[in-house]
Amino acid sequence: MTDENPRPSQDPAGTGRWSSKPEVDGARAAAPSLGLRGTLLFLWRQLTSMQTALVLLMLLAVAAIPGSLYPQRSVNPALTEQFLEENGRWGELLDTLGFFEVFSSPWFSAIYLLLFISLIGCIVPRVGVHLKQLRARPPRTPSRLTRFTGHTRIELPGAQGEELIEAARRGLRRSRYRTEVREEKGGRSVSAERGLLRESGNLLFHIALVGVLVCVAGGTLTSYRGQVTVIEGDGFSNSLTQYDSFEAGAWFDENDMPDFRFTLDEFRATYVQPGEAGTVGEPRSFEADVQVTTPGEEDESRTIQVNKPLHVPGASMYLLGNGYAPEITVTDPEGTVVAEGPLITVPMGDTGYTSQVVLKAPDAQPEQTAVVGFFLPTGTIDEQGPRSLYPDALDPQLALTAYQGDLGLDSGVPQNAYEVDLTTLTAVAGEDGDPVLMRLYPGQEYTLADGTTVSFDGLRRYAAFDIAHNPFERWILISSLVAVGGLILSLFVPRRRLWVRVREVDGTTVLEVAGLARSDDPSLADDVKALASRLSGAHDGNRPPDAAPSGHPEADAAGGPREGSAK
Amino acid sequence: MINQQLAEISNLALVVTIVLYVLALIGFGADLASSSQRRSDARLAARERQEASREMSTAAVGASGTTVADAPAAGSDAAGSDAAGSDGAGSDAAGSDAAGPDEAPAVPGAMTAQRFAFLLAGAATVLHLVGVITRALATQRVPWANMYEFATTSTAIVMVAFLVFSIRRTELRALGTFVIGPVLLVLLLAQTLWIVPAAELTPSLQNSHWIYIHIGVAIIATALSILGAVVASLQLLQAKHERTLAERAATEEFPEHWGRFGHVLDRLPSSSALESLSFRIHSIAFVCWTFTLIFGAIWAREAWGRFWGWDPKEVWTFIIWVIYAAYLHARATGGFRGSRAAGLALAGFVAVIFNYTIVNTVINGLHSYSGLG
Repeated sequence: MTDENPRPSQDPAGTGRWSSKPEVDGARAAAPSLGLRGTLLFLWRQLTSMQTALVLLMLLAVAAIPGSLYPQRSVNPALTEQFLEENGRWGELLDTLGFFEVFSSPWFSAIYLLLFISLIGCIVPRVGVHLKQLRARPPRTPSRLTRFTGHTRIELPGAQGEELIEAARRGLRRSRYRTEVREEKGGRSVSAERGLLRESGNLLFHIALVGVLVCVAGGTLTSYRGQVTVIEGDGFSNSLTQYDSFEAGAWFDENDMPDFRFTLDEFRATYVQPGEAGTVGEPRSFEADVQVTTPGEEDESRTIQVNKPLHVPGASMYLLGNGYAPEITVTDPEGTVVAEGPLITVPMGDTGYTSQVVLKAPDAQPEQTAVVGFFLPTGTIDEQGPRSLYPDALDPQLALTAYQGDLGLDSGVPQNAYEVDLTTLTAVAGEDGDPVLMRLYPGQEYTLADGTTVSFDGLRRYAAFDIAHNPFERWILISSLVAVGGLILSLFVPRRRLWVRVREVDGTTVLEVAGLARSDDPSLADDVKALASRLSGAHDGNRPPDAAPSGHPEADAAGGPREGSAK
Repeated sequence: MINQQLAEISNLALVVTIVLYVLALIGFGADLASSSQRRSDARLAARERQEASREMSTAAVGASGTTVADAPAAGSDAAGSDAAGSDGAGSDAAGSDAAGPDEAPAVPGAMTAQRFAFLLAGAATVLHLVGVITRALATQRVPWANMYEFATTSTAIVMVAFLVFSIRRTELRALGTFVIGPVLLVLLLAQTLWIVPAAELTPSLQNSHWIYIHIGVAIIATALSILGAVVASLQLLQAKHERTLAERAATEEFPEHWGRFGHVLDRLPSSSALESLSFRIHSIAFVCWTFTLIFGAIWAREAWGRFWGWDPKEVWTFIIWVIYAAYLHARATGGFRGSRAAGLALAGFVAVIFNYTIVNTVINGLHSYSGLG
């Protein structure tokens, strides 16, 4: 974004400084006289000004803050719901204002869209100017060089203007300056310019940022992402029906999903054991062995780990979760098996991997039955209730309670398989009238008073994977790398002009050298001085009279070898 | 396997490092205090001389004290960044100015308080690095897998950067107090609040070379932000000081401001030289933050299956990036150059602190590697 914005004559805001309040007021008073076109032009100029860009940048930073303080739906919807429940009307108000979807909220979008419009409006004219500049010759040498950086004037005996100019031009070209030799009244000059790459880099950075935004938008429209849970021994084939949850962009086409299948052979987890360094029970490794089948390829055994996803053409699979799937069989009083097989349990988030069990048996007779409780990999039941002490299955057990009544499945409202509404159910009581707590170890069976049996037949583990694909990822990466490249050029390439002028007066040659920094360029003065002493020194070994007092007695000595190396 | 003996050595090295930093801080502080004492003695002497000469004749003879006081004020804040050439001159003037009152002890090889403090800081930094490296050897991995290690490593980088910047430009050594102070604060916090036993990596940090790249760059970025904030705050103080001095110079013969601390500021480079240095540090920091974001996105895509997910750490790194971007733009905008831009740089640093402390310990997110309960 430009520093000096060309201001139209009808722009009453003048310098556009935010602090100049009277002028801003004047702008408001004058606005009606601008007419529609003038007003639009005025607004456009305001939008593309640097001050506006600055304000928008700061607004963007401030607007992002609530996105980290309030639980975002896109990040963790459960936490958002919890926050809403705990905060009542305040929560509802925040929800209406979009504080739980900050990054897709109208106000956040408005800020970054305005910012990008401002950016484009600023960049486009600059690209034109810069392209012209790239083709243009270095500007004319100013008539008075004395007021420029590092101005050095040296008088040399004899007429040697021709050679000096040629040496200066060659030397500057070698240091990658664009040069232009001009005939002037009474002499000649070399006008040299370097560092146009700085502006090129700056433009490249901003254009690449627009590229990143466009690619991110493209990715949002075309990408997909789904979650699957697979128990050891089971398989998965890539189709929509197999996913637990699935999100895709508006332009996503189901037919584009790649065809692949896999079977989870084994899931392994290791944890910090007592006596080892670190917190006991902290995970050390998760590994999932899978057999992958892709069309036209042979089956392949692969191990998926955290940070080691499985890439198949058109999709990637990430290991993001795991848990236990105890095999539970429930038989109703009539002897019918109403539930059987491995059941996915939900870890509650403690280090011991205490996991919630919810098993629904809608076909049980005479009443629908639910078995609810906990799976404990290394279990104990004490005054705190059933809990697990260690995440590995060292002493696996189930602590369950059976409920009977109406499961509410016939109401037509879709239900979460991992939750059950206990309000319409009653716990099966024992002889003392309290709910029965069944504690089962693998291979054990429990028979309730009415004849219902629950058995713990075995234990398997499950792994949870995310399968995702974003066709624009590569382009986002390329755009961002281009942006950094441009950024580095725009920050660290110095932009400067150098002038060398030679006049021949009464048999002596007057050499003048000066420079102009167009960016932070602390070494410019030194470079100008070095160029002057090189030109005069390289020519006849004369000590440059102006440079000498600045204290480089070794300039003479250095002149010799430099001349040698130049050839 | 964790080598507990090496972990103990690392711990011990860092504790001794803290002690050495305290000593270096005292050295730098003593240097500033003594120079300000000398300065005020010189001022007093000049004033007495002038008053004596005034008694003898009415001719106002410019005493040397006046020029010394005016030298830093010349490169005022308004000079801004365009005058890059004069920036260099300004820092030269400040440098020679700094050397001026120290003439007596500035015999080559003589041990001034500053040289002593600088050597001590160098030794402490070496020991600091030893502590960091032994921690890495003890755990056989990079020394930045939790908040404690990130703090010890990034402060080591701050010190190395400070030593590199000031080993040749001796006038920058006067900044020692203001660099070692924050470093010491972070190290003390790390050693008391954030310390965790040496341990192996959690699965989310294993099997990825991005832990070297992403976090390595983040550490450099953080270190540069700390250093940049130190320079930017001194720049703000210096600018205020210079403005007041310039105002008072119109009415007073011996303008003084802020007493002792004003003398300390007299000794530091001019505000335009500090501005130039701050910009250089912040522009490198901005590039590092950009790389932190990009490498983080690549790693997030490998680990979590998406390159960006608005995790609190991602949000705050984004905020830092945007604020520093605003700083770079402000610096190139009329009316924002100088002090206002420096204010933005400091706002960016506040975001860095927030990202490091609150986001790590209070806000729940995927980047929960502090290892604290």
